[in-house]
Amino acid sequence: MSRKEEMTSLERVATTLQFKEPDRVPAAPLVCGASCRVAGISLGEWSEGDNVEMMVRGHLESLELIGHDGVVMLVDLSVEAADFGCEMVFPHYDTAHPNYDNPFIKNPKEDYKKIARINPRKTKRMKSVIDTISGLSKVIGKTHAIVGFVYGSIGVMSMLRGPEAFFTDLVEYPEEVEAALRVMDEVLNEYAVAQIEAGAHSICYDHLYASQSVLSKNLWEKFEGPSIKKVCTTVRNAGALVSLHNCGNGIYFDMSEKWANPHAISHAYVADDVDSWEEHKAKWGGKIATIGWIPPGPVAMLGTPDEVEEECKAEIDIFAKGGGFILATGCEYPVNAPLLNARRIVEAAKKYGVYK
Amino acid sequence: MATKEKEQELIKRLQDAIINYKVAEAKKIADEAVAVGADAYTVTMEGLAGGMEVVSEKFDSHEYFVPETLLCAKALYAALDVLKPHIQVKEGGAQGQVVLGVMQGDVHDLGKNIIKAIFEASGWTVHDLGRDVPLQKFVDEQLKTDSDIVMLSAMMTTSMVGIKKLIPMIKEKNPKVKIMIGGAPITEKTVEEYGADTTADNAPNALREAMKMLETLRKGKAA
Repeated sequence: MSRKEEMTSLERVATTLQFKEPDRVPAAPLVCGASCRVAGISLGEWSEGDNVEMMVRGHLESLELIGHDGVVMLVDLSVEAADFGCEMVFPHYDTAHPNYDNPFIKNPKEDYKKIARINPRKTKRMKSVIDTISGLSKVIGKTHAIVGFVYGSIGVMSMLRGPEAFFTDLVEYPEEVEAALRVMDEVLNEYAVAQIEAGAHSICYDHLYASQSVLSKNLWEKFEGPSIKKVCTTVRNAGALVSLHNCGNGIYFDMSEKWANPHAISHAYVADDVDSWEEHKAKWGGKIATIGWIPPGPVAMLGTPDEVEEECKAEIDIFAKGGGFILATGCEYPVNAPLLNARRIVEAAKKYGVYK
Repeated sequence: MATKEKEQELIKRLQDAIINYKVAEAKKIADEAVAVGADAYTVTMEGLAGGMEVVSEKFDSHEYFVPETLLCAKALYAALDVLKPHIQVKEGGAQGQVVLGVMQGDVHDLGKNIIKAIFEASGWTVHDLGRDVPLQKFVDEQLKTDSDIVMLSAMMTTSMVGIKKLIPMIKEKNPKVKIMIGGAPITEKTVEEYGADTTADNAPNALREAMKMLETLRKGKAA
């Protein structure tokens, strides 16, 4: 075995994020909620976060089973909203979500003022993420990448209001929304710090609405620009790496660079200013590392193991050169997808992603 | 009875109100159209549908995004609520009927609501079942309304799998009905594997696909 092949997962990830070639392409198929199946608990129980010990065990045993290089602490997109006071629904085998029949923000003129500065360390769900990171860090902190997760400010706000009403509020009640966002920024910032202190090597900020799928660039930067800048600056100053996640179509890489200056973006589609993955690599590949982009539904979930391998090979062929690439699904590994397909992703990285 | 000129003026103003998402203005113009006795069907089809057509183009070309489109839909409904009771459908003018809903276990209804607005503006009758819809409800609603198309939305793989079970349930009762599926995890491969007829990645494309399927269905009936 060559020296390069003896890198730990953490070294491998760190090397590629510096746009250098490690021993092989790192693989991190975003096995998050799917770890509940390894832990032997329902997705609902997993999401509620009452059993941190079980979550730590689920992640560790998933690592053993699948062999990925890093753990991402996404539980679902309602963690922060729940702690702000949103009424939640925890289905047994579906993703947890707010009760949109009873949103936290009903009256846009008055209710945005209800967003209060809370301490993430003393909440229920955010604290369970912090504690899970802490538990993982004790075991794999020196060997594997641990990536904390923060859902972006306007994403959280849309959970509290309901997305449809929230999007029209951006135009109809901009001052109320902005005032609430600036309170929320402080909480999300503190949440990122707490995760880093617990042992996260990177924080992944999910700026889901920064894409052609949802908001114009102007509207996005007006509302989320200050939030993402604050959190990402804090993360960098704390010595951790800045990563973003966005599974929308036509992601605003230029806006991401301007406001967050990330080391990497986890994404499912190309940037809005290019037309192909080859173009994406040429334009953005040397500046912002790509974590992606295996399609979760058609490939990870519906694909055969051979189709998964074929997709991985194609992506490695385009993106591996020069580093700056982590092979992963473009969004969370589907909680109901075959776990052996996740293992095949790691195997494909070992088979086709070795740097010579 | 409004003159042709007055009707055209109202249509133009209504289009502008929809495109520029002036909700109160759209309602005011619709009230005026009813008061002067303008033909509600013509005003709806040319004013509202015409306005939403421009909105669709702007959405397609990334000039408008989700907030702008939702606000245009808000203006549309403000006017449609006024005009609807006065509409008399003209011969050959009616579009098809669709049953529309978000799959069981899924509460993401934003895309579904945009589709509803664009279809209604274009003269389709939309039977909206909402979100988190039990499978059997789609089957029952299609049978009850004899709708041409069933449109199923899923934003998560956990809700998407219900589509595979549902399509045979619908087709068993009515083999001719067309099924369109859409949502983040859905691709052409899903269409093929689940036995759907088509998919679309946004509302304007969904309308184009629906028009094509309706044409096929009507040709089939005529043959």
